Amino acid sequence: MNWSIERKLPLFVTILLVVVAVVQLTIGYGEVRQASRALADKRLPLATRVMADLFQTGQGRARITALAKDSAIVAFLRSGGRRGREPALAAMRRLTSDTATNAGLELRDFGGHLLLRTGKFAGADSVPISPGKDSARYGPLMRQDTTLFIAIAAAVGQEGTGGIVQQVARLALNERTRKTLTGLAGGEVTLLLGNASGDPWTDFATIVPAPPQGVLTSPVPVRYERGEPKRAAAAPVAGTPWMVVAELPTRTVTAPARAYLVSMAPIAALIVILGALVAWWGSRRLTKPLVQVTRAAEAITTGDLEQRVNVQRDDELGRLARSFNTMAEQVSRSHHHLEAQVAQRTKALEGTNAELESFSYSVSHDLRAPLRAIHGFARILLEDHNAKLDPEAQRLLGVIDQNTRRMGQLIGQVLSNLLQNALKFTRGRPDTRIEVGSRPDGKETVYFVKDNGAGFDARYVDKLFGVFQRLHSAEEFDGTGVGLAIVKRIVQRHGGRVWAEGKLNEGATFYFSLPDGEN
Amino acid sequence: MQPNGVEILLVEDNANDAELTLRALKQRNLANQVHVCRDGAAAMEFFAGGAGPVPKVVLLDLKLPKVDGLEVLRRLKGDARTKAIPIVVLTSSREEPDIERAYELGANSYIVKPVDFEAFARAVSDVGLYWLLLNHPPQ
Repeated sequence: MNWSIERKLPLFVTILLVVVAVVQLTIGYGEVRQASRALADKRLPLATRVMADLFQTGQGRARITALAKDSAIVAFLRSGGRRGREPALAAMRRLTSDTATNAGLELRDFGGHLLLRTGKFAGADSVPISPGKDSARYGPLMRQDTTLFIAIAAAVGQEGTGGIVQQVARLALNERTRKTLTGLAGGEVTLLLGNASGDPWTDFATIVPAPPQGVLTSPVPVRYERGEPKRAAAAPVAGTPWMVVAELPTRTVTAPARAYLVSMAPIAALIVILGALVAWWGSRRLTKPLVQVTRAAEAITTGDLEQRVNVQRDDELGRLARSFNTMAEQVSRSHHHLEAQVAQRTKALEGTNAELESFSYSVSHDLRAPLRAIHGFARILLEDHNAKLDPEAQRLLGVIDQNTRRMGQLIGQVLSNLLQNALKFTRGRPDTRIEVGSRPDGKETVYFVKDNGAGFDARYVDKLFGVFQRLHSAEEFDGTGVGLAIVKRIVQRHGGRVWAEGKLNEGATFYFSLPDGEN
Repeated sequence: MQPNGVEILLVEDNANDAELTLRALKQRNLANQVHVCRDGAAAMEFFAGGAGPVPKVVLLDLKLPKVDGLEVLRRLKGDARTKAIPIVVLTSSREEPDIERAYELGANSYIVKPVDFEAFARAVSDVGLYWLLLNHPPQ
């Protein structure tokens, strides 16, 4: 396709604007995205730490430690569960009534055999925990169907004379808890709690699959897939085998970047459109004078020399237009001048041509008529008045008759041929000169026709009088190539000779001789 | 033959050629009713009015004073009353434009005058014999 500058310029500017807009949007999007991720990566560990601290609260541990030192409990376990059952049970009930209704207490010996139990939990629900020597210890989360349990245990007394006090509490899993915790961490953040070693895990409303180990062991937030791409950070809950994970959907992390795109893209598009319009308008303003000059130049090329440009500007384009007009003016003037000159020359040439034609006509017409008269009347004298003429008069009339006959042939064919040649080969000359003449030379007369025309190369002089020999192309000078051959034959038949002198582009002289006297 | 009529109109400005032509015709006994005009104007005069005698042939030279031979030819062939008259161009010109123009205008023949008198006399008498004796014009 042939694009004009008027189109190319705005197109170029538009492409440039689009590229700039796309680059700007891409960089902006990347930076906002980077910033929001950095923010999320700060927020997630913070949330996990807060949660870990929350679960680490020492209240439950302090209580169970205190129970382990209760004298009734100590006495009951020391007796191997045989004595003091009622006071121990009372102590235990005191504690369970204080705490959540979902809690239960168990007393076991170090072998793990259940000795006494209170609360709502069956012994089978519970897993014994080996407590630390000096303080209570949390066990891993336990799962039974859809319920999760937390167990904390403390040692009572010495090996062989003591036992274990273990509290088992049901973890309240419901939407309210989940929402409460999520609210603490800030919207969109999902909090998960579970065992560092694996299942079970919960989001505080339901039981969920454990996050991959990669999440749990990474010191910094990582990306992983759970239903959708997420960023997650993990932290251990001190003093427990539990871990807390805080996670954010990736789409939430990248939301600000998308919002940036949504708000910036229309502005960028607007800028591109405005820029394109301005470029189009500017390009038109700039190329209009150029288009005018081009059209005018094309018109002048096709011959309309009167085309001018109307551009009212003071800048380079204005100067171009003015220079163009001046130039067109000069071209037009010199063209008219040239035309006038050509017409004048043509007229002069036509005049010269007419003169030459009438000269040729004179040769063929005016020379023949008197010759015919001489011949004719000499014949009439010989035929009609023969009786009155003495033999000498008759002989003289015979000479006249012979010579006019010969002259007639010469004029008709030889001279006319040579003159035609002279005219032909001087056609291109501004000043044609043709001389015809004769001079006596011993016993013969030499006639010549001299011109200042195209001449010939002296090397080819032998070929001049040959039949069908031509020294010039048919384009230069027409002709059949028999004229000079005829001349040669006629002259020779009359006992004469023909020859020529000439030089290329400097004219030629053709000579022929005829013997004097009667033939 | 028409008594007192003109059978050949010779339009010829050159007195010598005219005399030689007449002599050639006389040798064939064709010279009795020849009218000679010395220029084109005289030839046009001859036909003016259309009432004059109608020749059997016009021998017309081209290079004529006053009215040129081609012009005479054009007028005679352009006039309904004279266009049927045979016109033989008898001239010294062998120029191609002259020949072309003459035939364009309706010339019946074009003969270049031979320089040689005998050839000339033969040509003239042949033309006379042909047009006066052999040719059959419309009545």
